[in-house]
Amino acid sequence: MCDSEQQQEVSEPQWPENGEQWRDEEDQTMDCGLLEVMAEEDEDINVYNQETFGTDMDTDVTTDKPSSSVQLPPTPPPSDVQPLPPHRTPPPPRQRLQHQCGFVPGQRGRGYRGGQGRGQMFEDPAVIRMVEGRPSLKSLDSAIVDCGFAMHRNAFIHNNNDHSYRKSRRVSGSILQDSAIVCVIGHRGRDQQLNCSLDSTFPIAFGTRRAEPRGPCSRRVFGRRGASQVNILATPGAFAPGSPFLRQPMTSRLPFNQTWGFTFPPNRSCPSTPQPLTPKMMQLRFGTNSPRPSPFYSPSSNPVQPFSRCPGPVTQLHPQHKRLLGQKQRMFQRKSEGWDPYCNLMTAKEKEWIIRLQMIQLQSENPYHEDYYYQEYYRRIEAKMAEEELGIKSKREPPKLTTPYITKTDAYAPVVHIEGSLGQVAVSTCYSPRRAISAVHAVQAHCPFEEQKDNKQQRLEVLNKIEMLFMVLLEVEESERMKTTVLPETEERRLMEKTERKVEQIYSELQSHSGDFLPFLLISKGKRLLARLLPFLKHESAGKILHVVICNLPTLMNKDSEETLPVLYPPLRNVIGGLTFSQLIAILKDLTSSESLSTLECLTQACQNKFGLSLLYALLSHGEKLLSSGVPLEPSIGDFEMWTEIIFQVAGQLSQCSLVEPLLLPSNLLTLFCRYLDKRTVHQLKNNMESATGFLALPS
Amino acid sequence: MNYVPGTASLIDDIDKKHLVLLRDGRTLIGFLRSIDQFANLVFHQTVERIHVGKKFGDIPRGIFIVRGENVVLLGEIDVEKPCDAVLQQVSIEEILEEQRLQQQTKQETEKVKLQVLKDRGLSIPKADNLDEY
Repeated sequence: MCDSEQQQEVSEPQWPENGEQWRDEEDQTMDCGLLEVMAEEDEDINVYNQETFGTDMDTDVTTDKPSSSVQLPPTPPPSDVQPLPPHRTPPPPRQRLQHQCGFVPGQRGRGYRGGQGRGQMFEDPAVIRMVEGRPSLKSLDSAIVDCGFAMHRNAFIHNNNDHSYRKSRRVSGSILQDSAIVCVIGHRGRDQQLNCSLDSTFPIAFGTRRAEPRGPCSRRVFGRRGASQVNILATPGAFAPGSPFLRQPMTSRLPFNQTWGFTFPPNRSCPSTPQPLTPKMMQLRFGTNSPRPSPFYSPSSNPVQPFSRCPGPVTQLHPQHKRLLGQKQRMFQRKSEGWDPYCNLMTAKEKEWIIRLQMIQLQSENPYHEDYYYQEYYRRIEAKMAEEELGIKSKREPPKLTTPYITKTDAYAPVVHIEGSLGQVAVSTCYSPRRAISAVHAVQAHCPFEEQKDNKQQRLEVLNKIEMLFMVLLEVEESERMKTTVLPETEERRLMEKTERKVEQIYSELQSHSGDFLPFLLISKGKRLLARLLPFLKHESAGKILHVVICNLPTLMNKDSEETLPVLYPPLRNVIGGLTFSQLIAILKDLTSSESLSTLECLTQACQNKFGLSLLYALLSHGEKLLSSGVPLEPSIGDFEMWTEIIFQVAGQLSQCSLVEPLLLPSNLLTLFCRYLDKRTVHQLKNNMESATGFLALPS
Repeated sequence: MNYVPGTASLIDDIDKKHLVLLRDGRTLIGFLRSIDQFANLVFHQTVERIHVGKKFGDIPRGIFIVRGENVVLLGEIDVEKPCDAVLQQVSIEEILEEQRLQQQTKQETEKVKLQVLKDRGLSIPKADNLDEY
């Protein structure tokens, strides 16, 4: 059978003697079975050629007509290297290539057995003939692999090997017509043994051919060398677009030893067994910076198994999770998979690598905080299982989750700003695949010394700052919550210090801008931030904030479009509760004496606003509490007078203007008013306040 | 078997037939052969499926490498389940033609819409292609 095949080749007169040389080489190692397959493929190719080029092969086509396919010629005798005409594209490398390897597309002759005659030869010996093919979709869109027939889903079903073999073979024959397709993944015959082992000097990391896909698909193209993907890529310009030349087992003719060496592991019978990699290969495959799988990992057939060795302290699984994993592993191993010739392209090692990487990304120092649902889920499963086991066995102590002592890798700036550039470069890494680029930073870096900034920019900056400070605030609150858990002495102190520092940081940041907190107070989120920060502040600092609020009360009230001011009320009330009498008086003075507005106006405005009124009430209430408590007040000079005056003013206002419903109506207000005012006024006040609030104040 | 529950992992999807929708609207169907930490995908025996109305056409594309960020969604295809009877498969040329017509009509309606808005003094600015965060 082999001989007859070879005879056919020899009979072609056009192929020069090189073909015989080549054939001699092939003789030694050519597998007869391979030739059979080749023959079958030839028939396919013939059919295709007929379809494409037409049966009338003897028609000469002149160069005037546009050619959509250029067929490559047989190699000229080695001694005779003809110069290429300049307009001809086949580049020197190709010729050199052909020259070098004594290449003869002998088998291509077979492909054209279907009646393609020899056309007119042009001055370029590289061109046999030119044919005008009909413009097919493939020529228009090079990405289309094959449009001869739609690929039905049958092609995907590997129900039996033969079936898939046939189908994909058909596909592959025509796949190669596509110029965008360089090569189809090589297969080797099941029984073939790779005799060649070549030195591993090949720079391209295509050693991923470890898992042998079985079966079909242009065995011819790769001969017995396999991985011709590599080699074809290494031969630039070797292929003319749409050239049936692609089908030729050109690569098998190439002297790998000379030009391209690559390591190719010997063939194995089991496709799912990943081949062992030489260290060099490993290096090639993973690149310089990628995390390498640990050398003690030995690949096994089961991708699941190696992982059960639990990669050290790097990854921390919940113990319940580990148990479940183990159970499922055993189940998994028993399952047999359907046959897929391309399966396990991705080896176990590679899968492990990715899993490892993903787990690194999941490392955290407080898993309960960052991965709450996972922790909770497994805790509940554990609890349920413990409950179930309670009846069966004696109650076992569920394994405690070990605190991971992982050192988190240093954070690096994922956003790189190059000096003088307008934008930023977001570095995408596996820890942060996609980072948002904040517009503010770019702006800031762009004009650091500009004092005159746009209002918009300023607002952006303030907004940005609020966001940043909120993050810190969340940490502060978290540590506050953790205080409830029992911690060792030193840790607790450290925690406290840390919290304090954070609080101070937030406070100073808020102040830094304009000296006061106004810009932040004008933004509703800023109000919320301050409201949550106040409980953590020392009395002095809190007092300052209160002062700012009071001084700017009209502005705040006017600009409170979203009505978030009330959120400040509870913490401010607490602050007020800690004021001394003098401080209180000072505050009240500020309240009533604004720069732009008169006292009356101030008070009126305050009365109209929920927050303002509530604040006023709170202040008065506190004053009353202080006065009636009997504690020595240590008032400054003029305090009492101020106090009385304010009372009268406020009383006057309250009785006259319409009041809104306050957030909280202190109970001792009327008592206060009773002391200073006459009954009638008090009565009037009472009515007014009641009508606003809808509930009774304490009877005088 | 997902080693890290609570996360998405494509490890279990390897060597299975998938359908992936890309950000540019293309639909690819193929065998998922390889992934990496960015969810870049390597598809084998890929077919680009174009849907126009009730018709669809498959264009065989071979091997596809998809950059992870361009994936909208990805799902496994059950090869045993029968293909839906509602959709009708047509040849590539036909579906491309249909698609072209569809694009054409869309463009025309868009143009008319813009003109109408312009007449009324309104203008809708072109949507930026980048994602908004």
